[in-house]
Amino acid sequence: MLSRWVVNTAFFLHTWHSYQRTKIFFYNFLENQRYPYKKYFDIFMMGLIFLSVYILIRSVKHELPHGWLIFNNYVISLIFLFEYILRFWVHSSNSKTIIEQYESDVFLHRPFSFTGAIKTIFAQKMEYVLSPTAIIDLLAIMPFFHEFRLLRIFILFRVLKLFRYAKSLRRLISILASKKFEILTLMVFTMIMIMVSSVLIYVMEANNPDSKINTLFDAVYWSVVTIFTVGYGDFVPVTDGGRVVAMMIIVSGIAVISFATSIVVSAFTEKLDEIKEDKMIDSVNALKRMYLVCGFSPLAHEVIHKLHKRHIPIVILEKDPQKILQARKNGFLALGYDSGSLHTYSHLKIDFERQVEAIILLHESDVANIYTALTIRELTKNIALYSILHHPSNRKKLLLAGMDHIINAHELVGMMSKIIAAQPVAFEVIHALRSEQTSTIVDEIILDSDMKDRFYALLKDPLFYQRFSVLGIYSTQFKVFHFNPDPEMNIEPGDVAIVIANRGLIDEFRTKLHRRGKV
Amino acid sequence: MKPRSAAIFGYNEYSKQIAKQISAVYDNVGVFVIDEAEFLEAQDDGIIAQRFDLSDDWESIESQFDVNGLIVFCALADDAENVFLTISLRATFDKLFIIALAQDNESMMKMKSAGADKVMPILPIAANVINDLLTKPIMTQVLHDILYEDGDLTVLEIEITQKSPLNGCYLHELHFKRDFDLILLAIVDQEMGTTFSFASKGHNHHIDAGDILVFMGYAEKLNVIKKWNDGVTI
Repeated sequence: MLSRWVVNTAFFLHTWHSYQRTKIFFYNFLENQRYPYKKYFDIFMMGLIFLSVYILIRSVKHELPHGWLIFNNYVISLIFLFEYILRFWVHSSNSKTIIEQYESDVFLHRPFSFTGAIKTIFAQKMEYVLSPTAIIDLLAIMPFFHEFRLLRIFILFRVLKLFRYAKSLRRLISILASKKFEILTLMVFTMIMIMVSSVLIYVMEANNPDSKINTLFDAVYWSVVTIFTVGYGDFVPVTDGGRVVAMMIIVSGIAVISFATSIVVSAFTEKLDEIKEDKMIDSVNALKRMYLVCGFSPLAHEVIHKLHKRHIPIVILEKDPQKILQARKNGFLALGYDSGSLHTYSHLKIDFERQVEAIILLHESDVANIYTALTIRELTKNIALYSILHHPSNRKKLLLAGMDHIINAHELVGMMSKIIAAQPVAFEVIHALRSEQTSTIVDEIILDSDMKDRFYALLKDPLFYQRFSVLGIYSTQFKVFHFNPDPEMNIEPGDVAIVIANRGLIDEFRTKLHRRGKV
Repeated sequence: MKPRSAAIFGYNEYSKQIAKQISAVYDNVGVFVIDEAEFLEAQDDGIIAQRFDLSDDWESIESQFDVNGLIVFCALADDAENVFLTISLRATFDKLFIIALAQDNESMMKMKSAGADKVMPILPIAANVINDLLTKPIMTQVLHDILYEDGDLTVLEIEITQKSPLNGCYLHELHFKRDFDLILLAIVDQEMGTTFSFASKGHNHHIDAGDILVFMGYAEKLNVIKKWNDGVTI
């Protein structure tokens, strides 16, 4: 009966959207590093920690207002307690565990093992409770019991909580963790050294009335201060034997320091590329809009160079390390990932719908471009895909792969050669307009129906007359281009005027077009 | 004299496209290849190519074409060889109209220095088109249709003749939009040099014989102004 009720409740919770949404929200807030609002929570918590430590320090020599202590002991502690409970809650899904157990038992024609499910839930929750970060969290709540004066020192555990919120500190821990074996070896070696030297110095000095090293604790203290090359000088060996021990310890101390330094340096060196990569992924995730260029070829270099003028960030995906290096040398944001792999996009967590304006496939082979296009189309159907076509015979394949725009340099050159041969000046004029090498450019101006009178009136304005040429208006609704439009021609919302003029004059025209009042 | 013949040097995807596009325009199109592989490839495509080397022996050209009515496309795959070919042709034929392909802007400058009249830098051209497609898609499509598709709307450059009614006029006296339904894009003023200036700069040019005007408009209207320029009464 109880089992039935537990299973029903689990199914209810599992399908209750509000409950699941709330849980996901808190999970994102507490654990999801890529959740955009998590950083605000982290900053808030770090602020509380610093405030808490400040109150502790201040209270050592000053009498604090009662409100401060209440705030520190109750409000901050309650917030931390609430956070601990939430983390405990989102760490695992009890309903999911029960359902999985139930379905597994049903499938195997066994009665539902309630105790089995409880054991799994207990193990999952204990995994959280016993994790180092959760232990620190719990200890940081301890000052809540401020009546126990000793527990107030636990406030310092709140400082350790900083590791949870500061990414750079987490990174430091992960870097040092990669050298776990070396650090452990060093620790064992150091402990043996301290133990041996402490015993030796104690034996040599303890019975000498001139020596200050009288207890084993004095000996251990002296050994630690000496081995780490600090040497305060408050305890010094006075016997010959003691001085020999000191000389040995000083030499060993240099070895310990060198070993420790080399471990940290090598750990950082080994992880340097990874750190840089992580930082780059972070900066890509922070972009609100971008062009994604797949493949870094000489053409990609040209395209990116031109697109940079638009001030829209460009991210390059290229798996060849040499090309990545070249791209980075040119100051481009290049990531060493295979653009044809689904794993790349799940790892980079690129939000196509929100972040990507368009994807440009510029690999040096049609095969790679088609493969990448198919990968991207598996993830999204909505993003605009542009690709270079290397062999005209592959055009249909690129279209089948879901390409929206195909650019073939051979065909372009062929078509251009026809016009360049027949009308070289006309070609040069059009080329100069499009390449924007001069101040005169050809541009688009998006129009609205209420702009009609203003648009035609502005064309008669002495500022624009003879200096601002409207080639025509493209009707986006009917997909027709009206060359040299008549001033009576209607303008529909979304129509686009193609104009030729000085860049500054076009900007001025745009501004005046959107300004209210008389021309 | 308008070229009536064309010679294409090199046989690759670019020269194939060039041959495809210009074959209808010129009476005589010859393909010249530098090596056996290209020769065989052309043969497979049904084209009888002729061999050439980068020496100064251009007898085959002179015997086959009237050099004064010839346009040459230097489309070798290697930029360095293409530069050498261009300079070799220019050294032999002063008046030859040479169009050369270059991979990038750096090679383009070399081609120009070598004597090419026009250079098509492949990578910048493709990059411009991609950039335009991304940033000004409608303008790109419209210009593409005007320039490369066989529609009514097109561009035309005309050289002002002595008997042209336009000869001696000032640009601001003329209303091509209103009177001819044409848009004047640019003008090459012989007095100012050989480079063009855009009509929208607003300069009041004095039009003389020999100046070149570049118009955009419907073929029918362009034909009218062309005839008018030739002195035909409309």
